[in-house]
Amino acid sequence: MIATLAFLFAQPVTATVIKHAPHLDTIESTGKGMALFFWVFAAVSVGGALFVVTRRNLIAAVMGMVGSFIGIAAVYMMLYASFLAVVQMLVYAGAIMVLFVFVIMILNRPEDEPVAPSGRVGQGLGALAILYLVGRLAMLLIHVHVPAAAVTAPAMLTYPGAADPVAWGGVKSVGMDLFGAGLFPFEAISILLLVAVVGAIAIARPLHEDAVPKDPNNPNDPAVEGHSV
Amino acid sequence: MNDVLFNIGYGHFLVLAALLFLIGMAGVMIRRNALIILMSVELMLNAANMTLITFSRMWGGMGALSAHTFALIVIGVAAAEASVGLAIVVAVFRGRRNVDVDRLTTLRH
Repeated sequence: MIATLAFLFAQPVTATVIKHAPHLDTIESTGKGMALFFWVFAAVSVGGALFVVTRRNLIAAVMGMVGSFIGIAAVYMMLYASFLAVVQMLVYAGAIMVLFVFVIMILNRPEDEPVAPSGRVGQGLGALAILYLVGRLAMLLIHVHVPAAAVTAPAMLTYPGAADPVAWGGVKSVGMDLFGAGLFPFEAISILLLVAVVGAIAIARPLHEDAVPKDPNNPNDPAVEGHSV
Repeated sequence: MNDVLFNIGYGHFLVLAALLFLIGMAGVMIRRNALIILMSVELMLNAANMTLITFSRMWGGMGALSAHTFALIVIGVAAAEASVGLAIVVAVFRGRRNVDVDRLTTLRH
């Protein structure tokens, strides 16, 4: 065990293969292995998304969502967005999944029907819209002449130091942009998250607690400890 | 056919994002459970993010990393939306004992 750990930590950290062969950027984007990984993770993300839409069991739907997000994170990694892939795993497959699971546990109710039986007109309109969009997408795939730029492999990165494509979407470069050009949105998003936290607490709190004045020193006060729910 | 199978280009990523968006939109339209609708909205946001990142990769240089910043902001907004939306779901469930959006007709007139 310790020997394995020592072996792992003794490995060089720098990706020398990529640094000395910038043309690998093209090769690893077009090779059979890349294609295999793309199809596997595309299937995982689309299958998970279909799971979300079709499952009656809510926990199964959440697990499908997690699988879909993991597949999407892998696809981000293929696009050299390594930092975003990690953030995707942490935020979506971690935090938001836990949030959904908690709410499902609070509700603890099986769903009656997976698909709405009422509102035939709305259902028909929705089905028509979906069919139209799927048809347009299929036409795009079949009929439209695809420009060469779309089927050829992702081009080589062109920026100073492009020999290391891993650094492009890494923490440093994304952080430079986030705290440079994106500084105001970053600060705005922190205020938005604060407002969302306060709003979520305000919305989800039981309403009639406001009417009863709380006395935290009184152990018999029904509003203090869980009796009011 | 082999070209489509083995040469993964930007079009593949864009079509994958479009498929995910379509599935999410179908979920919003055909499901009645508010939780599933929220999950489908998250899927649609993710599909939009994937499109952004694909175009960022297509453009290449350091300036295109603004798309990554944009995607990060979108993830933050999605987290805020999920928390408030789930709080609303809990509040609605407390009052009505179900989260079926077809039965939430109080504001309809």
